[in-house]
Amino acid sequence: MMRTLFYLLREAWANIWTNRTTTVVAIFTTAFTLACVGIFLLLYVNLRAAAGWLQEDIKIMVYLDDRAVASTVSELDRQLRADRAVSALHFVSKEQALGEFRTQFPSDSHLLEGLGQNPLPASFVVTLSPPFRSPEAVKRWAERIGGLAGVEKVDYNQDWIDALSTIIRSIELVAIGIGLILSAAAVTIIANTIRLTLFARRHEIAILRLIGATKTFIRVPYLLEGAVLGGLGSACSLFMLNALYELFRHQMRTTGRLRGLEQLTMFFPLSICLLLVGVGIVLGFAGSFVSLRRFDEAKV
Amino acid sequence: MIQLVHVTKQYDRRLALSDVSLEVQKGEFVLLMGPSGAGKSTLLRMLIGAERPDHGQVVVNGKNVGTLKASEIPYLRRKVGTVFQDFQLLGKKSVFENVALPLLVQGVSQTDIKRKVTEALRAVGVEHKREQLPMSLSTGEQQRVCIARAIVNGPVVLLADEPTGNLDPALTGEIIELFKLINARGTTVLVATHDPSVMRQVNRRVVTLVQGSLMPEQRVTL
Repeated sequence: MMRTLFYLLREAWANIWTNRTTTVVAIFTTAFTLACVGIFLLLYVNLRAAAGWLQEDIKIMVYLDDRAVASTVSELDRQLRADRAVSALHFVSKEQALGEFRTQFPSDSHLLEGLGQNPLPASFVVTLSPPFRSPEAVKRWAERIGGLAGVEKVDYNQDWIDALSTIIRSIELVAIGIGLILSAAAVTIIANTIRLTLFARRHEIAILRLIGATKTFIRVPYLLEGAVLGGLGSACSLFMLNALYELFRHQMRTTGRLRGLEQLTMFFPLSICLLLVGVGIVLGFAGSFVSLRRFDEAKV
Repeated sequence: MIQLVHVTKQYDRRLALSDVSLEVQKGEFVLLMGPSGAGKSTLLRMLIGAERPDHGQVVVNGKNVGTLKASEIPYLRRKVGTVFQDFQLLGKKSVFENVALPLLVQGVSQTDIKRKVTEALRAVGVEHKREQLPMSLSTGEQQRVCIARAIVNGPVVLLADEPTGNLDPALTGEIIELFKLINARGTTVLVATHDPSVMRQVNRRVVTLVQGSLMPEQRVTL
């Protein structure tokens, strides 16, 4: 068993070494292709993070009925705090609301004085937790809370939430589309490399078939070769991306452009890097598989 | 051991085998004679599942080859040793590695591989060339290595397609003697050749194919 495994690994290495020029070209072509996917992914990760911060800024105002008694308000406070959709809660009394109005609109403060009494309602300023920030979830939550005792009105910026959500969804779709197209390109590149190896070793494969080698035995070295190409291509693409990313950050630091945003940009965390290498391995494996299937059908 | 029942095979419009029926008993040595293009290779390829009959039945070692699944073919081939005119050795592997290959694909242990390969190489007389590459051997030695590879896992049937096609008369005689020796140990041997001199040296049952059809049998006795 160990001898067979050793043989298969040695054959995979022999394939790579024999066709080293083709292998290096394939690794770099795959790396460039996956780097293009990576650029979009990096853009997506950063924009997604930025959208997340913007979403955190979305506050929902739960205005209280002026007639609501203290016990109703405290019950509402208890209910909101117990709500798993609520990540942060802040109470603004009528007096605080008036104070804020005067601070924000000092030239208009005389408008309220003519009314005699403070017309501004007390409110709860609510921040929803991430899973409840979609337009539909916010709407459902607002409708539910709007029906509670002591609530006059629930107000939030519907347009802003909708726009942000549309932007995020569009970025997602573009990233998925480009990712799929370029992944298919990576599979094709690796498939062609493996096809060259298969063609070069067709006589050997024919002999292996004749002496009773199973399909698996014949395929494993080529599948390993594809996986190595994909994995190395993906790792190279990450190095390239990281170099580009550092260059970008350096440029931003030295030119002073986009000041402030520098701290907001991020590279892939280690887990994503490992995942991308894994994706490369799977793509390489798929490329080999495609070539082997065609080779089997052609019986070259 | 080998049974062909009304086997017909056609490539496009060319009839390769026409209603061929043949039975080879266990332990027999049969010579399959016929000119080039008579259908000898097609018949041998059918016995290892490389071709399927259009009509009829091909049975080897109790298995109906025509109905075997693709995944079962390798297991049939492990029971059937094959020798070719062009040797089909791997040029970048040593003699030992070439002969070890059928055992390797079966996952045989390293100790057994060493023992069996040594025995096979000794049986064909090229044990001293074990570390050499096939290209450094003479054609006769290369054919011996090919035979060693075919017998290393103790097949029940040995098929040889024009095994002496590249050899001079003296070497042809040596290879035929080797086949006789293998046959004497109980392996069924079927040798396809167009060379009448082989028929004279073998002195066993002869079946002749002409344009895909089997001729009445003859037995050659020197």
